[in-house]
Amino acid sequence: MTRPPAKGTRRVTRLALLTTIALTIFMAEAQLPVLVPIQGVKLGLANIVTVYAVFVLGPGDALLILCARVFLGAVFSGQMMTLLYSLGGGLLAWLVMTGLRKLLTKEQLWLCSPVAAIFHNLGQLLVAAGIMKTWVVMAYLPYLVLSGIITGLFTGLCAQYFIQRMEKLRL
Amino acid sequence: MNQNTKIILALLALAASASAAALLIPKEGSRHPVAHITLDGELVQEIDLDRVGTAYSFQLTGASGLTNTILVEPGRIRVLESDCPDQICVRQGAIADGTVPIVCLPNRLVIEIVGGGEVFDAATG
Repeated sequence: MTRPPAKGTRRVTRLALLTTIALTIFMAEAQLPVLVPIQGVKLGLANIVTVYAVFVLGPGDALLILCARVFLGAVFSGQMMTLLYSLGGGLLAWLVMTGLRKLLTKEQLWLCSPVAAIFHNLGQLLVAAGIMKTWVVMAYLPYLVLSGIITGLFTGLCAQYFIQRMEKLRL
Repeated sequence: MNQNTKIILALLALAASASAAALLIPKEGSRHPVAHITLDGELVQEIDLDRVGTAYSFQLTGASGLTNTILVEPGRIRVLESDCPDQICVRQGAIADGTVPIVCLPNRLVIEIVGGGEVFDAATG
């Protein structure tokens, strides 16, 4: 499933393209009205790109795309405070996905997404607990675990289908 | 389906059911709600919601410069207005028990409801 590592210009172009796609999805999703009035509940569609990158390009390149998207997303949405939450959640989810990458076969990779989503939400809550200086925010954890499983299944299946279609294209 | 998938699926099911159970079990403070309002980690107000006769509102400004208008009603409390961009705390509406606290991340404001009365649980602070 993993491609032979692209080098030089080809690699930079691919990373830039994927970052652009992820950022575009992220900004489009940010325009959607908040459906559930609970902090941290969101679809996280941009993570389709992250899952794709972890499994196809490898954890290192995925981390580069993730960090670039999180930073630019905070800049473009004008809320720099979200940078800390996104990084806390994103890095924890990336770690989990990197671990699961070895355990799952090509047809099962959709399963890593709900697990990663749960840890993403846990990471955000840990950052929030640090910033707010209280563990009270952990009361949100049950909601965020449930929403993470649902949205994670959705983004995971999207990434799964995306990877299978891309392989047929042989770009 | 191999072993790894089964384990992951089982863990997901466990996490889901544990979360659902945590949300369904009645929380402390459902009989005698006392609201704790915390700004930036410091307790600024403690309101016994059972002793609120008529509804009133007041404003709180945090270190970030943002202001939340808080509405206190008999037995429940909510954020009525907020300067923050996301407005999640406003849309959450009123809370009357300890299931979910109101959190305004931009203003570092937390409104939680703890059990009041004689058996005050100090550990919740």
